[in-house]
Amino acid sequence: MKNYNPIIFSLTLFISFLGVITIYSTRYPSTSINEIPLYLRQIIWIILGLVFLLFIYRWNAVRLWDIAYIIYVVTLVLLILVDILGHIRLGAQRWLKILWFNFQPSELAKLASIIILSRYFSHYSLRFSGRSKLNFKRGIIIPFLWVAPMIFLILQQPDLGTALMIFFIYLSIVYFAGVKRKYIVILLIILVFLSPLLWHFLKDYQKERLLVFLNPDKDPLGAGYTVTQSKIAIGSGRFLGKGWLSGTQGQLRFLPEAHTDFIFSSFSEEWGFLGSLLLLILYYLLIFYSLKIALATNEYFERLLAWGIVSMFFIQIFINLSMTLGMAPVVGLPLIFFSYGGSSIVVSFLSLGILMNINKKR
Amino acid sequence: MSIRKFSSVIGLGFLLISLRLYQLQIIQGNKFYQLSKANSIRIIALKGARGKILDRKGEVIVDNQFSYELMAYPQAIENVDDFLKKLASVLGISFSSLKKTYQAQAIQSSLPITLVKDLDKEKAIILEELKSEFPQIVIQSVPKRFYPYGRLASHIIGYIGLIDRWRLDKWKDYGYSIQDTVGYGGIEERYDYYLKPDNGGIQLEIDSYGRLRRILGFKKPINGKDITLTIDLRVQKIVEEVLKDYSGAVVIIQPHTGEIIALASSPNFSPFEISNPSVLKDLLSDPTSPLVNRAISGLYSPGSVFKVVVADSALENKRIDEKTTFFCDGSLKIGNRQFGCWEKHGNQNLFWAIVHSCDIFFYKVGLSLGADKINEYALKFGLGKLTHIDLPEEKAGFVPHPLLRKLEKRQAWFDGDTANFAIGQGELLTTPLQIVRMISVFANGGKLVRPYIVKAIAGKDISLKQRKILSLGIPEKFLKIINRAMEAVVKDPEGTAHLLYIPDLSIAGKTGTAQVSKKQPHAWFAGFFPVENPSYSICVILEHAGSSTNACLVTKKIIERMKEEGIL
Repeated sequence: MKNYNPIIFSLTLFISFLGVITIYSTRYPSTSINEIPLYLRQIIWIILGLVFLLFIYRWNAVRLWDIAYIIYVVTLVLLILVDILGHIRLGAQRWLKILWFNFQPSELAKLASIIILSRYFSHYSLRFSGRSKLNFKRGIIIPFLWVAPMIFLILQQPDLGTALMIFFIYLSIVYFAGVKRKYIVILLIILVFLSPLLWHFLKDYQKERLLVFLNPDKDPLGAGYTVTQSKIAIGSGRFLGKGWLSGTQGQLRFLPEAHTDFIFSSFSEEWGFLGSLLLLILYYLLIFYSLKIALATNEYFERLLAWGIVSMFFIQIFINLSMTLGMAPVVGLPLIFFSYGGSSIVVSFLSLGILMNINKKR
Repeated sequence: MSIRKFSSVIGLGFLLISLRLYQLQIIQGNKFYQLSKANSIRIIALKGARGKILDRKGEVIVDNQFSYELMAYPQAIENVDDFLKKLASVLGISFSSLKKTYQAQAIQSSLPITLVKDLDKEKAIILEELKSEFPQIVIQSVPKRFYPYGRLASHIIGYIGLIDRWRLDKWKDYGYSIQDTVGYGGIEERYDYYLKPDNGGIQLEIDSYGRLRRILGFKKPINGKDITLTIDLRVQKIVEEVLKDYSGAVVIIQPHTGEIIALASSPNFSPFEISNPSVLKDLLSDPTSPLVNRAISGLYSPGSVFKVVVADSALENKRIDEKTTFFCDGSLKIGNRQFGCWEKHGNQNLFWAIVHSCDIFFYKVGLSLGADKINEYALKFGLGKLTHIDLPEEKAGFVPHPLLRKLEKRQAWFDGDTANFAIGQGELLTTPLQIVRMISVFANGGKLVRPYIVKAIAGKDISLKQRKILSLGIPEKFLKIINRAMEAVVKDPEGTAHLLYIPDLSIAGKTGTAQVSKKQPHAWFAGFFPVENPSYSICVILEHAGSSTNACLVTKKIIERMKEEGIL
């Protein structure tokens, strides 16, 4: 296998750099004096992410197989903790305060679900022609039971976007592990029939967001407003963009979440179609080379792991961009390596570190 | 599986995104550019009304009325100072205060800014007539809290105000935003999620002259849900009128279910006036702390009221029976300290010891029980721990234990401490709510109830969810012995609460005085009525009121008024 590490590493750093300058721009001119500016904080997060990356890169990703259960249990405990703390005062809560920063266990849960599912399916590796043993129970139900508690707890937080992400990760790993297409289709059909029931699990505001997507006029002040403003921001960028520090939608605070979930709109407003296309190409290359790593690995566990991470990257980028462009409901997912947010940045770099570690052992 | 297959799927995804970008930025780009330049999207918020708060019979305690608000669209204002100066002269208010309000809210340019709340009707009409001169403003009628009974039940209700940073951070995901009004204290806080209206609004697109081009969206505001309390407004009124002249608290509950019938704390506050920041500041610095709900967060030693718990503990642990007597000669030496009784009672059995509230009897019973057992029974009767009433800011109190003292304070526990503990003095701290629930155990045949105050949300009865009743397994004969004595406390001419005797109503109860260093003691009365079939438990505490006589007087006034109004 070729060494793809330098290329995916530099792509990621470049994307993160674009993220930092966009965060700087959305907060420009800076109003708060007392706090550390957000772009500086983001740089600190990136550095912390790189430390994690280095750590896992020098380690051995196969060892994740040994500690998969530990990671799983720790993630569940953290999610339960968030849930309990959220219940104490009615309030929603996605993060735990650890020392001086807020940590979102739901971000970790994405990686944990990749690790646990990879470990599970690595039993049925190709070499022992174990795929034939993957019937509906072993191929669909049991792996679903592994991720179901995480999905349930994250829905409670309530964080629809991440819960959906974990479900998509599950689907893609099930697919890659070679479970018969027929079974996956059956699962999807079952879910369609169960969807009225699942609807009840959603919080009111989540239902509303989904309905708003179907009919944006329904909530002109909330999600509908955000999407309108996001579209105005992106569209007004035209071909060349308004230029760095010149985007009005983000800076004048017309656009909510301009530095987190909707950061792409802020970027697109300032850098136009050309800049946006460049960013899309960067993301495409990142995923393309990561995919090459996944497919070139012979070790089955690592292969699944790499595949899970690639699909996580792709699905999340795709959902986030579709949502900012008004093509999907607003579910609240950050743009990886780009949006402001410590947990997302750290977990994304950690995932990249696993990929690079796998690629290291050609 | 080939790389080509997967990469083409991914490529297709990115192509889709690119096409959409092309559509928005290249095809529709100029349109969106104009929109962004004109900042032509306007929002008009339509506020819903907060849910009403009703008493158990549906009587409205907190209602809503409409008031006028003056709002301005920042993106339509060319020169802020000129505009505000002109407006200030029309309204007759100072320019600087108007500017301050403006700047505080100038965060998101597309959202209207509330310049004046509670605009007079006359001024609203004048501004409406001058509309051509002020195209930047709009006057909206907004629902506002209205308190038909003024200060009544203020501690139960709480008050409302603008959301603070802390709450905003926590509740953002539940749809709370920066200009929201939320509840502080009482039902308004605890049930804010239900009371809160779902605000609606209109999103408009206007042209460069500020004229409406088209409506982009409309959302109907939805009013908050009404909350029905277990409170009986008639009883609440009586209680607050009687309590008015004292500092203290009264709680009345239904002993079998734990429904709060009345809950008052004095001094109280006006939930209406508190919206004025200077009033709130005064209240917060007031040494009599009117904002504190003494009924659930006031901590007091229970004094002799606690003796009924010690009596039950002694009976259940077979340290005494009905006939056991101790001799009271007015004082008792424990260790090397002299402990006094307030009178020389002579030979006392349990019955008379409760009727007379004889300290010597309970010192001796307490010493034979030991502090561990007293601690165990205090906790069993729900003292020193949260009752989990559905109101915020409840305090737990404290039940001492020799070991705890050794561990935490590294101090020894003496027999004198046990004696003090047995008559409810010393470190033992309880809330009036805990005491009324404790006394209810005797009224309802040995059950510890969870007190609650909300009966229904949006007309849907939640009583069954609210009730949590725990049987303590106390043998009935012991309850009978203690109840007979508590009845005599009121009925017998020698009883400490005989003052409260009302001929055709049987009341059982126990008085108490809680010693306070350097000040007059607190006065307690806790009891229930009618004895045959108890439908009310009551607890009265008056801070620094001297002897328990005053607590009995207050109780008597309340019961007599209840009879007069035909509630009993």
